[in-house]
Amino acid sequence: MTKYVIRRVAQSIPVLFGITIVVYAILLAAPGGPTAKFANNPRVTLEDREQFKKAWGLDQPIPVQYCRWLGACNPDVDDKILGIFPTPGAFISSHGVPQFLPSALGGGTNGVVHGDFGVSIDSGEPVAGRITRAALPTLILAGIAFVVWIAVALVIGVYAAVRRYSAFDQAATVFAYVGYAMPTFWLGIMLIFIFSGPGLNILPASGMTTTRLSPPFGSDAYWTYFGARPIEAIIDIGRHLILPVFTLVVVNIAGDSRFIRASMLEALSQDYVRTAKAKGLPGRVVTFKHALRNALLPVLTNIGLEIPFLFTGAIVTETIFSWPGIGKLTIDATRQFDYPILMGVLLVTSIVVVFANLIADITYALVDPRIKY
Amino acid sequence: MTEQLRAATTEPASQEVERRADEAGPVDYEVQLESLNQWQLAWRKFRKHHLALIGLGILLVFVVVAIVGPIVSPFVFNEIPKPDKLVGAGRPPSLAHPFGETGGLQRDVLQLVINGARTSLLIGFSSMAIGVIIGTIVGSISGYVGGFVDNVLMRIVDVMLSLPLLFVILVASQFFGNGNVILIIIIFGVFSWMGIARLVRSLFLSIREREFVEAAKAVGVRDRRIIFRHILPNAFSPIVVSASLIVAGNIIGEAFVSFLGFGVNPIYPTWGNILSNALTFIPQGNWWWPLFPGLAIIMTVLAVNFIGDGLRDALDPRSRA
Amino acid sequence: MTEVIDTPGQRGAPPARDVLLDVRNMRTYFHVLDGVVPAVDGVSFSLGRGKTLGIVGESGSGKSVTALTVMRLLDIPPAEIVPGSEVWFDGQEILSMPIDSMRKIRGNDMAMIFQEPLTSLNPVFTIGDQIAEQVVLHKKVKYKVAWDRAIEALTMVGIPSPERRVKQYPHEMSGGMRQRVMIAMALSCEPKLLIADEPTTALDVTIQAQILELLKSIQQRTGSALMLITHDLGVVAEVVDHVAVMYAGQIVEEGTVEQVLVSPRAPYTMGLIESIPTVEKRGGRLQVIKGVVPSPFNLPPACRFEPRCPYAWDLCRQVPPELYATDHAGQRARCHLHTPAGEPRRGPALEAHEEAMRVGRGGRRNAMTMDERRQA
Repeated sequence: MTKYVIRRVAQSIPVLFGITIVVYAILLAAPGGPTAKFANNPRVTLEDREQFKKAWGLDQPIPVQYCRWLGACNPDVDDKILGIFPTPGAFISSHGVPQFLPSALGGGTNGVVHGDFGVSIDSGEPVAGRITRAALPTLILAGIAFVVWIAVALVIGVYAAVRRYSAFDQAATVFAYVGYAMPTFWLGIMLIFIFSGPGLNILPASGMTTTRLSPPFGSDAYWTYFGARPIEAIIDIGRHLILPVFTLVVVNIAGDSRFIRASMLEALSQDYVRTAKAKGLPGRVVTFKHALRNALLPVLTNIGLEIPFLFTGAIVTETIFSWPGIGKLTIDATRQFDYPILMGVLLVTSIVVVFANLIADITYALVDPRIKY
Repeated sequence: MTEQLRAATTEPASQEVERRADEAGPVDYEVQLESLNQWQLAWRKFRKHHLALIGLGILLVFVVVAIVGPIVSPFVFNEIPKPDKLVGAGRPPSLAHPFGETGGLQRDVLQLVINGARTSLLIGFSSMAIGVIIGTIVGSISGYVGGFVDNVLMRIVDVMLSLPLLFVILVASQFFGNGNVILIIIIFGVFSWMGIARLVRSLFLSIREREFVEAAKAVGVRDRRIIFRHILPNAFSPIVVSASLIVAGNIIGEAFVSFLGFGVNPIYPTWGNILSNALTFIPQGNWWWPLFPGLAIIMTVLAVNFIGDGLRDALDPRSRA
Repeated sequence: MTEVIDTPGQRGAPPARDVLLDVRNMRTYFHVLDGVVPAVDGVSFSLGRGKTLGIVGESGSGKSVTALTVMRLLDIPPAEIVPGSEVWFDGQEILSMPIDSMRKIRGNDMAMIFQEPLTSLNPVFTIGDQIAEQVVLHKKVKYKVAWDRAIEALTMVGIPSPERRVKQYPHEMSGGMRQRVMIAMALSCEPKLLIADEPTTALDVTIQAQILELLKSIQQRTGSALMLITHDLGVVAEVVDHVAVMYAGQIVEEGTVEQVLVSPRAPYTMGLIESIPTVEKRGGRLQVIKGVVPSPFNLPPACRFEPRCPYAWDLCRQVPPELYATDHAGQRARCHLHTPAGEPRRGPALEAHEEAMRVGRGGRRNAMTMDERRQA
């Protein structure tokens, strides 16, 4: 098992490496180069732009830039091979060990491997701090959506399979088709019209907390308020969560309930289910022990593959509902061409996706005895 | 009887039994198989798939609307319908304006939806075509050449599938799109090929081992001919099915990107960008504004998905209905 | 899940005490899109306690459906057990009993072994768990006791180092081992009736013999009755005492193994046996039964074998034959040859069969008769 985990982790290293290249390519490919944003800003002088370039190492050749951004090259070493490539010496930190090691072990402090994503062009704040701050609301939204998504999809899918061709199954089929065809952002807009529009107006349509009740989420004042009235605060967030979570899960539930139904029907038609019946086992044991256990194996892989959609879905949902998370941060950064933030967010979300797939694969190996590792 | 039975214990509409009946023929108990070519057979099965036929009908209507609509009711961005008497809230559906009028500029929603159909469908289908072409080429190379090339290409696919794609498309549209329809099509196409590439590669790997390809190789058929005559035709049906999913996904994706203002310039209406300001009119209860473009998207995507389902059943050579 | 059976009408009386299984006029129909398939159409037979019975037929003859109907393992719908069908097991009519009571019999008093040992075992549970589960359910014992019982059962079917094997998963075993596991599972609750549906079809020839030997010895040791379903006449000859031959949903011949295999009396059985290649028939043409099994939607009106039968005449197209007594005691055949009307044709038919068995040129003669029939 340990061997399998090591091999599987090793397999994801080239993928992670590839992701850093793609992310860095976005910076390079940006129209007019990374300083284009300043070109339209009359308050920024030419000297300001040169200084920005210098601070970001943008005056260096691309391989050196990338290597420093990654954190594998020492920014204090200026020598180059053929004028563009970093020298072997550049990979060694000032403490004489490889630069990419954690700084506690004598490695460097620069670059994304050391958690240094740079500084936001827009606000001047460190990117890592902005992302960490935005991560909590997204984790709350995505986490709850994930639980609701899996639970509801399982119930619908399994029940539709067991009661095949029943009214419930047919209703689930219609829901799956329509839900799957529905654009998430449009569903969000319509829900806001219905539940927060002039008609009903019973649920909050934007933000994470009610502004007149509490300080903005995430600030120190908020946590003081939270400590003082935790139940009230949680109920408030809960009310704000209803519409975004609903918006976020509908597409996933629509797709997965179909998938689970198909997987369950497949399992129910297997010979071992007939054997289980022939042994005299009651129907619920046959369904929920023998069939479901097998039906869940492909579902598990599928869920791992769908984690990216949870993130893109969160971007969509957060924009519609002004949820102060990663999605909103992304949209704002895109509007303002704030490259450091965009690169940081892209990198972090991709890494989360790679790890989610990794965990799904390892879990699969644990629950399916047929996998050899 | 065992296979008949297995089918019967699980599947009320037992195909095995049907097939047996087919083969036995009606009168003289002898084997009778109608010989139809692949396409006749596929069309016969597709016709029996009611949802797919409905989907095809809906899609044809939308295509006609997309082609003819803008001629009948052209949209001119600079033309503001009633510049002298702006009504903040827009107007609900009426006989003159069956889909209502937007808040703010009082544009006719029906006209917007009709004109949006052209751009949205164009983007959905053209970007799919780009994705399918790239994916088929990459997948064929990967599956047929194998080895190191295969490894590199598949790692690239892995990397791209690990990225939150909508996010990447969003950023790419903002950076390079300039609101231009062609560029948006290219951006969506460039990020739509990975699934097809994996699919084509896996088909190559499985088909390459099958007897008929080995037979072709054994009699000295050239590689290119093997790929085009023997392997790709077999890969056709799964490609068509996933292509339908790409069309649906890209229509929705484009709508979202344009809704946020990163996609197509509002001079060319799409089902997404005409919604850009809809949210600000919520307090006025302007529901008809987002409703109809959204319904257009849902119906198109449903139609495409139904057609995809129908094609999957029709092109599956193992089913014979 | 949908195992509801319509409450049938009045039932007959239970059979004699020494009869374990008594199937009476059983009809199982399948409702499919194109119509109704009479998979089992009026089958009756009985099996004494500790006795063995083979049911032989080609695929589609209804032999597996017979077994599954007795176990009540068919989904209803699409299957329908036609009212009037009766199955008496151990003094009780089981087709009409509530499904909960039937579950207490299944796996406990009546156990079944399936054809595909790979797919019939659940891939995600250990062998021991799958056997113990059944013992816990029926014998109401602690899991630990059931686990020991599983090891015991594995020992009994000749699996080496059962203590280790019991913790393994099905995919870790060979096909023959898996079938032994299936047998161990079936035996774990000491059933009164063991139903084996093509238990050796999916196995290598060398393993087949071992498994048959095992089935036979276990049947003798435990004294359970055995119902063996197979398409292979050789398997029948080795393991069972009595045989019923099925064709198109009906029993066409029944009797002891010697009677049916050595002196068959139904033309279908005769054809089957003529088509077995033997050393004596060397040099002759390989013989086959002409034509194909009729479509279940379009069965011949009277005798179902008539279109393929070399001995058929007008009566066979008009009156459906029943099972008639033959010249051997206890052997019965579904053929008009054994009625007074068929008396004149019986002698020549049997002679033709003997001839075919001797020379192995029956194929040509059969073809001629077919031609003659066509001309007629």
